[in-house]
Amino acid sequence: MSLLELDAVSKTYRRGQEVVQALDSVSLSAGFGEFICLLGVSGCGKSTLLQILAGLEPADSGAVQIEGQPIAGGHPNASVVFQEHGLFPWMTVERNVEFNMKARGVGAAERRSVARDFINRVGLAGFERRYPHELSGGMRQRVGIARALTTRPRLLLMDEPFGALDAQTRSIMQNQLLDLWQDYRATVVFVTHSVDEAVFLADRIVIMSPRPGRVRSIVPVALPRPRDRADPAFGQCVGEVLGLIHDDLRHLMGA
Amino acid sequence: MNRLLTAALGLAPLALLLALWQAATTGGWYTSVLLPPPIEVARVFGAQWPDLLRHVGASLTRVCVGLAIACITAIPLGLMIGRFKWLDQITDWTIQIFRSLPGIALIPLAILFFGIGDKPAIILITLAAFWPLIISTIFGVKSVERTLLKVARVARAGDALVLRDILLPSALPSILTGLRLAAGAGWLTVVTAEMMAVKSGLGYYIMYAQTTFRAEEIIAGIVTIGAIGLLFDQGIRLLRHRICRWQEGLVLES
Ligand SMILES: Nc1ncnc2c1ncn2[C@@H]1O[C@H](COP(=O)(O)OP(=O)(O)OP(=O)(O)O)[C@@H](O)[C@H]1O
Ligand SMILES: [Mg+2]
Repeated sequence: MSLLELDAVSKTYRRGQEVVQALDSVSLSAGFGEFICLLGVSGCGKSTLLQILAGLEPADSGAVQIEGQPIAGGHPNASVVFQEHGLFPWMTVERNVEFNMKARGVGAAERRSVARDFINRVGLAGFERRYPHELSGGMRQRVGIARALTTRPRLLLMDEPFGALDAQTRSIMQNQLLDLWQDYRATVVFVTHSVDEAVFLADRIVIMSPRPGRVRSIVPVALPRPRDRADPAFGQCVGEVLGLIHDDLRHLMGA
Repeated sequence: MNRLLTAALGLAPLALLLALWQAATTGGWYTSVLLPPPIEVARVFGAQWPDLLRHVGASLTRVCVGLAIACITAIPLGLMIGRFKWLDQITDWTIQIFRSLPGIALIPLAILFFGIGDKPAIILITLAAFWPLIISTIFGVKSVERTLLKVARVARAGDALVLRDILLPSALPSILTGLRLAAGAGWLTVVTAEMMAVKSGLGYYIMYAQTTFRAEEIIAGIVTIGAIGLLFDQGIRLLRHRICRWQEGLVLES
């Protein structure tokens, strides 16, 4: 059985007279432990899809199931990492990492020890008592990831988590994320704008096209891990995906 | 900036005022019966300090009790109103109407209902402090970052946790700003109320000095009121500094 099953999911936003069809009949399935990247130009509904998977927005029609259960108001086995990291500025690193467990009623002692483990695991030992504004962008993202992992999710949803980072930090974070994914095994749905990032991370790349938001094609990435950007096969894969996206852009511009 | 310089800057206009005052009295601009020299006022502090202290105690107690009642009622209510839209819709107009009533206008009514004594004074202070507090609490809750509420929803956090760990701390800087306004309003109200509704406190002291024609006592009372107002404000700033350490570096110092 697949972990994630979307069947003909549609979503329309209405704001006064303006009607935007954010998703049009999107179908997708993912097995347990699979790493999926959602790739596409701005406005093609990537975030909308993620919000639906997180239970933050209802779909207008179609079915969404996680482990055979229809999701409504969030799924207990899903965690989210937000682009602006979504850390609580008034909580220390430690308290932030503990939050998801606290929300699930985990006792204080266990919360503390699990939080410590994950803080160490993402390389933030010694920063437990810092506040988010005292951290760099990459460190904040690591806090967000640590927090998401504390509840051992089977589905991890990430919306452009590294979008605001510089290239070097970004590459470090990608490697770290893959390490964590190997250790904690979860299905990951990862939204990105970057073709390079998608090819580096994904088992399968879901390319979406805008207006209305649709799945345009799904590209399996068969490259062995750990992946090497210098490998010609890597470049070839990037080129192939770029080609698909450019077709879309040309179509959009009406050329 | 170092502390000494800050203090020097803050005191400079006050020193200027004192110098002007001294000049006015030595120059004889007004008769010294109306405008006694600073030294006369200083003498009042020397001679009457036990009495003054008693009045200060009475005023402070009223303000603190009034502020405490206002905090206990306005903050939880404000949190709820900020959180639940339907409550906001029900209460919005009422709050806007009542907050624009000047407390002074209610003094006669308060005396009619509660007679002369602590009760009307404390009720008026509570009312004066209530509105700025509840309005800033509601504002604080409403300006919480949307993403943080999403984080809470995905984590399946209950209402109580959201209120205590997210809405309250997020609103706290705004609440403390409200508290500063509330303390100011409370202090204004206590002096006014004491001029009519009670027989103790600094407001009463000033009114009494006027009936006995002692300008130096009136001025001593005014100086005391100003000094305590300043201390109050500094105290709340310090509190804000303590509680909102997480804000340092995020916002300009206030
Ligand atoms: N809450 C909303 N209300 C109205 N329209 C919305 C809302 N959220 C998204 N939209 C619209 O739906 C479409 C898809 O938005 P979405 O945020 O899912 O795109 P995206 O692929 O995540 O884009 P980006 O790469 O820029 O983040 C856009 O046209 C957007 O304007
Ligand atoms: Mg988006």
